[in-house]
Amino acid sequence: MTDEYLYTYGVVERADLELDVEGVCGATRAFTVDCGALSAVVSTVDTLEPAREEANLRAHDDVLRAVMEDDGGRAVVPMRFGMVFKNHEALENVLREGEHEIAESLESIEGCVELGVKLVADADAGADAGTAGPGSADPDWEALRADATERLSAVSVREAEGDLFSDRLVLNRSYLVEQDDREAFNAAVDAIVDAHGDRLSVQYTGPWAPYNFVDIAVGRA
Amino acid sequence: MFLLDDLLVRPFTSLAGIIHAMAIEEMHDTDAIRDDMKENRLLYELGERSEEEYERRAEALRAELDAAEQARERLSGKVEVKGR
Repeated sequence: MTDEYLYTYGVVERADLELDVEGVCGATRAFTVDCGALSAVVSTVDTLEPAREEANLRAHDDVLRAVMEDDGGRAVVPMRFGMVFKNHEALENVLREGEHEIAESLESIEGCVELGVKLVADADAGADAGTAGPGSADPDWEALRADATERLSAVSVREAEGDLFSDRLVLNRSYLVEQDDREAFNAAVDAIVDAHGDRLSVQYTGPWAPYNFVDIAVGRA
Repeated sequence: MFLLDDLLVRPFTSLAGIIHAMAIEEMHDTDAIRDDMKENRLLYELGERSEEEYERRAEALRAELDAAEQARERLSGKVEVKGR
């Protein structure tokens, strides 16, 4: 007989969910395990160490998106990839221990989504302007960065800085945005393209589960 | 491989030794390789790199990362890096 473990995607306010969705390690459904005022969204898997490969990473995110879109929009505290529990009891223990912290996080992200914005300088933008690269403290790029940041901050609740992993990245940030402000945020991104599109490209992604706006360390069985 | 082998058995007592250590650190800088992988993905998603070019570069970077991680593992605890 194959062992069955519980792969955990995230935690929601107590709810009875059953989703037909492609999950991690080939799972075909996600369901909830309750504890107090919370429910964890899980799938059964046959390993404690799911492979950190693209299909699994994508499936982890797909399930979280399905949960977020369920019932007209639902707040979910996402777990990092790879959280597997041996059984219901182990998972419930973790939920019980973190109940207060998780409930607070759920409250802080209620009605919001995470959106990602990367501003990428054109390959020849630095050379054309005769300046240093966009990642530098060059005043020209700094002004552009400040303008974009001001526009996006005005229509978001919180923001988180991402790594500038490429010399061409002018800005890499995640924004927590109220669902009601999605249109305004879209307009702010469009305005950045209109103002600076001759020098850069914008990569606009989401909505994501709010990975960058909850910071909960949970134990693992 | 003379330099690598040499570094495994001798403590650093000279500037030359420190420079060698820094060179190894740089040569096997896994963070820089991961940054290159992210940049490769970004430029592919922006349409600046074809799928073929992206795959070719991604495969080369994966191999580079594997080699760097193995080298770092091998040198772990045996190389001292100063001045960084």
